[in-house]
Amino acid sequence: MAEVEVKLPELGEDAGDEARVSFWYVAEGEEVEEGDDLVQMLTDKATFDVPSPARGKVVKLLAEEDQQVKVGQVLCRLRVED
Amino acid sequence: MASKVETPNRPARFPPWLRKRVPTGPEAAGVRRLLAGLGLATVCSGAHCPNLPECFARGTATFLILGRRCTRSCRFCAIEKAPPEPLREDEPQAVAEATARLGLRHVVITSVTRDDLPDGGARHFARTIRAVRSRLPQAVIEVLTPDFEGREESVAAVLDARPDIFNHNIETVPRLYPTVRPEAGYRRSLAVLAYAKKGEGAVPFSVGIFTKSGLMVGLGETDDEVRSAMRDLREVGCDILTIGQYLAPSPQHAPVARFVEPAEFAARESEARALGFAAVAAGPFVRSSYQAEDVFRSI
Repeated sequence: MAEVEVKLPELGEDAGDEARVSFWYVAEGEEVEEGDDLVQMLTDKATFDVPSPARGKVVKLLAEEDQQVKVGQVLCRLRVED
Repeated sequence: MASKVETPNRPARFPPWLRKRVPTGPEAAGVRRLLAGLGLATVCSGAHCPNLPECFARGTATFLILGRRCTRSCRFCAIEKAPPEPLREDEPQAVAEATARLGLRHVVITSVTRDDLPDGGARHFARTIRAVRSRLPQAVIEVLTPDFEGREESVAAVLDARPDIFNHNIETVPRLYPTVRPEAGYRRSLAVLAYAKKGEGAVPFSVGIFTKSGLMVGLGETDDEVRSAMRDLREVGCDILTIGQYLAPSPQHAPVARFVEPAEFAARESEARALGFAAVAAGPFVRSSYQAEDVFRSI
């Protein structure tokens, strides 16, 4: 098993810019499939759903709802099969 | 964990049709690395375009030439307004290199406005078109230019390099120009498109060149004002039209007056086709270069 960090991708903001966490679709301990929505983010221009890059288990959520997160910042950690 | 930051005047939520899904996969990061390695800018990033994740994941980008700073202060645009940098002489070759490495079939090149340059950057546009053409002879080349302060010789210099599509956005309806696009002129922008279409002399240089323009909606215009602008564009022979939702890049920019519903975009698209545009794209996330290849191929 390996841990994967899910980072905030560039959502049309300049590098270093931020987006706000609207809400989490998942909770810690939840199993997810690749492509399942993890979190909904809000920029000045749109709403974005960030999907899971792999099948696995959500180990840790690292941003709270309504929190500003920088591009590249870790949103959550997943445990995935090697 | 970062602290919570208060962000007054930012939207609490968007309507459901302004929702995007972030693509997974490494393609977008590859495009970003390629552009960074060549020192190139994109309007996708400069304008905070919400389509960026999707377009980069498809291996496309819209190149921003003539620098990263603009000499104008349009109230809808996120690009930095500051004294401009010197022109980068090798930029045309760098753009051509990027288009070749990305294997683009449809290349879109736009720029900041450079009112400080005697030709507004027209010759640099022309050099970039020629550099791309020599690397990718089969690619469709679309340019999205500033108004060159209405100088016909600048428009002619761009057209002389034979882009396939000459795009100049009128952006909004004439009533809103003073507040949205104060340093531009609605009639001047129409004249640029008219000149690009008609050319001069017995053999118009625009033969075989499509003209294109775009409108943002949701800035406070009425439907009738949009219809009137569409008719004005047809009167100057504009072939291709895009209409998209205006989205404010920050609370310091012009506010969104309203979110236009998808059905209203569909209605404008039908009306535009009835007016005789050869191709029309209208929708909440439509931007003038968004899926430009598909729009062009629909002709």
